[in-house]
Amino acid sequence: MKSKLYAGVATLALVSGGAMAQDLVIEPGTDGFNWESFEAFADAHDFSGEELTITGPWTGEDGRMVNNVMAYFAEATGATVEYSGSDSFEQDIVIAIQAGSAPNLAVFPQPGLAADMAARGALAPLGQDTADWMVENYAAGQSWVDLGSFAGEDGEEEMFGFFYKVDVKSLVWYSPDNFLDMGYEIPESMEELLDLSQMIVDDGGTPWCIGLGSGAATGWPATDWVEDIMLRLHEPELYDQWITNELPFNAPEVVEAIETFGTFVRSEGWAAGGPEASATTDFRDSPAGLFQFPPDCYMHKQASFIPTFFPDGSEYGVDYDFFYFPSFDEKDLGDPVMGAGTQFAITNDSDAARGLIEFFKTPIAHEVWMAQSGFLTPHTGVNLDTFSSDAFRAMNEILLDATTFRFDASDVMPGEIGAGAFWTGMVDFTTEGDAQAVADAIQARWDAMR
Amino acid sequence: MDNIAGQNQGNRVLVNITMLILVLLWLLPSVGLLVSSFRDRDQIANSGWWMSPFTVDLNFRARSNSDDVVEQNGIFVIEGNVFTDPSVASRFPDGEGAIGAFGPTARDLDAFAPGTTAEMPRGGTLTVEADGSYRIESDEPIDRGPAIFFQALTPPSFTLDNYRTVLFADGMDRAFINTLTVAIPATIIPILIAAFAAYALAWMDFPGRGLLIAAVVGLLVVPLQLALVPLLNLHTSIGIGQSFLGIWLAHTGFGLPLAVYLLRNYMVGLPRDIIESAKVDGATDFQVFVRIILPLSFPALASFAIFQFLWTWNDLLVAKVFLPSGAASQVMTVKIADDLLGSRGGDWGILATAAFVSIAVPLAVFFTMQRYLVRGLLAGSVK
Amino acid sequence: MPPVIQGIITIIIGVGGCVGYFFASNWILDNVIYPAKGPKAGHNINRANQVRPWLFLFPAMFALGLYLAYPVVGSFIRSLFDRSGANFIGLGNYIDLFSESTFRTAVRNNLLWVLVVPAMSTFIGLVVAQLSDRLSWGNIAKSLIFMPMAISFVGASLIWRFVYAPDADLGIINSIRDSLGMSVLDPLQVRFWNNFFLMFILVWIQTGFAMVILSAALRGIPEETIEAAIIDGANPFQVFFKIKVPQIMGTIVVVWTTITILVLKVFDIVYTMTGGNFGTHILPSYMMTYMFRDDGRATAVAFVIMILVLPVMIWNIRQARKEMR
Repeated sequence: MKSKLYAGVATLALVSGGAMAQDLVIEPGTDGFNWESFEAFADAHDFSGEELTITGPWTGEDGRMVNNVMAYFAEATGATVEYSGSDSFEQDIVIAIQAGSAPNLAVFPQPGLAADMAARGALAPLGQDTADWMVENYAAGQSWVDLGSFAGEDGEEEMFGFFYKVDVKSLVWYSPDNFLDMGYEIPESMEELLDLSQMIVDDGGTPWCIGLGSGAATGWPATDWVEDIMLRLHEPELYDQWITNELPFNAPEVVEAIETFGTFVRSEGWAAGGPEASATTDFRDSPAGLFQFPPDCYMHKQASFIPTFFPDGSEYGVDYDFFYFPSFDEKDLGDPVMGAGTQFAITNDSDAARGLIEFFKTPIAHEVWMAQSGFLTPHTGVNLDTFSSDAFRAMNEILLDATTFRFDASDVMPGEIGAGAFWTGMVDFTTEGDAQAVADAIQARWDAMR
Repeated sequence: MDNIAGQNQGNRVLVNITMLILVLLWLLPSVGLLVSSFRDRDQIANSGWWMSPFTVDLNFRARSNSDDVVEQNGIFVIEGNVFTDPSVASRFPDGEGAIGAFGPTARDLDAFAPGTTAEMPRGGTLTVEADGSYRIESDEPIDRGPAIFFQALTPPSFTLDNYRTVLFADGMDRAFINTLTVAIPATIIPILIAAFAAYALAWMDFPGRGLLIAAVVGLLVVPLQLALVPLLNLHTSIGIGQSFLGIWLAHTGFGLPLAVYLLRNYMVGLPRDIIESAKVDGATDFQVFVRIILPLSFPALASFAIFQFLWTWNDLLVAKVFLPSGAASQVMTVKIADDLLGSRGGDWGILATAAFVSIAVPLAVFFTMQRYLVRGLLAGSVK
Repeated sequence: MPPVIQGIITIIIGVGGCVGYFFASNWILDNVIYPAKGPKAGHNINRANQVRPWLFLFPAMFALGLYLAYPVVGSFIRSLFDRSGANFIGLGNYIDLFSESTFRTAVRNNLLWVLVVPAMSTFIGLVVAQLSDRLSWGNIAKSLIFMPMAISFVGASLIWRFVYAPDADLGIINSIRDSLGMSVLDPLQVRFWNNFFLMFILVWIQTGFAMVILSAALRGIPEETIEAAIIDGANPFQVFFKIKVPQIMGTIVVVWTTITILVLKVFDIVYTMTGGNFGTHILPSYMMTYMFRDDGRATAVAFVIMILVLPVMIWNIRQARKEMR
């Protein structure tokens, strides 16, 4: 009888889950959060009865968390917010814009795609005020403004994208238990990292878990590897030229970076399951190897969002930890950091849409997600104590302390390359190993676009 | 022909075996999916679905707590039971089990038999008994509770959690309704339109009839992909855009050639006398159609309806192009492909469950309407 | 408004509108334009009957023209322009396509699919249809083999991932290899043969369709011909291949064609299983990589598919005309 009762309660809780998502996850007034900014925003804006539609790439946990943030906007303004996430957001938004049924705002994970849309005249400029605000209130503000500025339909360069939620990609995840057991040290340089990998192999272990699988986007995790290595092999200027194809994709510098990635994924015994398994294992699945007993691998390179996909109940510092993907000692290129981020752009102008951009200027809009998981921000006005764990605080510091910060190149390249040929090329390279041929093919695709 | 003397017995066995193999081959993949939908993520990753009814040896980790340290005669001791660790509670709900082997590190997890004592890498010793109770001893104070790795016999267990997750996922009910909203009109509208056209092509005389039939047959093979880009542009320019109206029209257009073709073939085969005697009695074509042809064509209508319903229910491509991507109009295939698969890429249990939930309705339709399918199709294809 | 009610209302409007058109247009024709009464009643009935076929046909012709005929023409014109749609480049897109190795692989794979899938589905379908007739549990066997027909391509892909998974604990193929002491391999990465593994998924789906139709056709064969053959001393194989198969040849060809048409449209299996990697692209999946990015190329690929279908289409039309006579 009792168990029946529990089952009933559980069902009830699950059924009412939809309604509960709109509740505020953090009680207004909770210590540490910037509630004044919330109050001030609420007093200044009223969009009662208006509906705001947003589409973006966040699904599942991430989708739930963004809805939690939107609940505060709804609470403050009276607007109703409908966010819907899709795994093939990149396709959907293009189709929606072509069909004239674009939502109010779209969340672009790739500046390249946003630039395409801006050139078609599908995005509304955010105005000089917002750009000025960002220069003042974001760390390295001008560079974020530049990444969100594109040529519009009339060819005029304007700011269209507002960066909100940033990821640091240059991170390597590991299990402290396994490192302690085997007596491994955190590598301080790329040379040490390569030595450590070889040492693990010699000890009979497998150093890396690599997973490139991601449905239609299979291959992208490998592009992150190549980009991070590119920043560690060559001057950042070369990286910038690579993005614009001033430096051809099949140039020796790029091929060298691809081949260095090959050292990690293709060396005998370095990647769990070998290159074939790496090419198809889902990227959300691949860190699981760190948590197997005995471990399938000791290290996993992935961006700051990956703990979302770690086994339930994993605890930072106990079950997992991370270190910075180090740079070569001999190259003397400083400590470059590669990152990515999502930007909100207005695809269907309305007062409420403008209001949401204003909302993102308040610290509270950032703190509410910081207190959840997987969120980093360059906003300098937020209280770093609101991060849900030390891990995110530490990652945010890596982001703010970088000597060189560069945006994920594949996200900035034109969609056909950065979200197409580069992905499939990396899958080909992982399984076949001919870096030059792959680079030639990608460059050929780039040439064909003109 | 079954009464060929002598060979009969051997043949029968051979036939049975061949069929058994074929049926198994056809059934096995689905069974794997069904079984997996009742297992959780760890189980799927650690043992094949074909092992699920058996008790298997699985690897676990328990963590001792440094708060439990007691000092006894100058040495530091932690005692406890690995089966009461919260992280293994889901597999050993009673807090009891049988240790097969254990180890102080993940790498030599099966190096020690229960009851023996192992040296720990960071000093101290670990002893685990067969019932899971352990004792850690160390000369130094313990500030970080060491992990204990062990292998234990795990009884089979199945869970409904996956179904709960999928069925109660935000918006799944909405997606279900949306799919019905797309599939039902997209099945009925082309049938109605096609039935009238098929009647005209089968029983009415007018110039150009042969040409039209040839055109319908020709359009039967036009690849759907060809139409997506121009049609979306067309819909946008006449103001339909992405909407339910748009997707009904699209499904109607794409389903029509087969519908007209099947129904015409069936209607041509209906007895001429019935129709002519009705006309002699003064019935108009419209009356003949509604009162005589439609009821008589029921098997053909039903068989096309099944086809079209399965097709629209299972469709992903047309829905992605002609429906807005928001939650308000998401259909189940899109919901599964873009939301569930994306956020739970590695969670095979969820994926398996989602697949089963999405095929439940088509399967039900299919098994209830099976007999019409054959009758209708045969009239259309066997001459 | 709750979605259920919204859904029901939209369904009623959609279906009601359709029924309304046929009823109203016929009513107007018979009662308003050419009323079957008054002095010109007979004349009016004749006139009405001349117009009526077109009333019956109009919605279908309109939809077919708009949704299938127009896109064929429209796509062909679009494929002659560049990615922006502004500049006419003649056959430029086609020339570019054929110079790309991925495209040539896709064409080769597509031809393989067109040959293998219909052949295998029809053959296995025929064998099952014949064998199951002789079994006490034949109907159950048929239902089970028929079942995959109801499964979406996305669902089927998921099911087969559990078969092909490159992990001895997940994939049954690799588990068997493992127990035989062979190394784990990813069937979908075995160059060239991976195409056949993907094709088998469609064969798995389509065999049921072939089986049902062919089984009914087999039952329709007159008993006398078979009995005569048996009396003449034919063994079961001869009866099957020399007597039965020729008599249902027409049905076999229809089944074959239907599956061929389907093969040319399916993209989901490749798209969800390999995403076209490892040399498995077929034309429809290859087209998806261009769709809504470079419409000129995408429509050019679609048109190549159309050209591949052309022989089937012409054959079908000739078949239909023969029946008419």
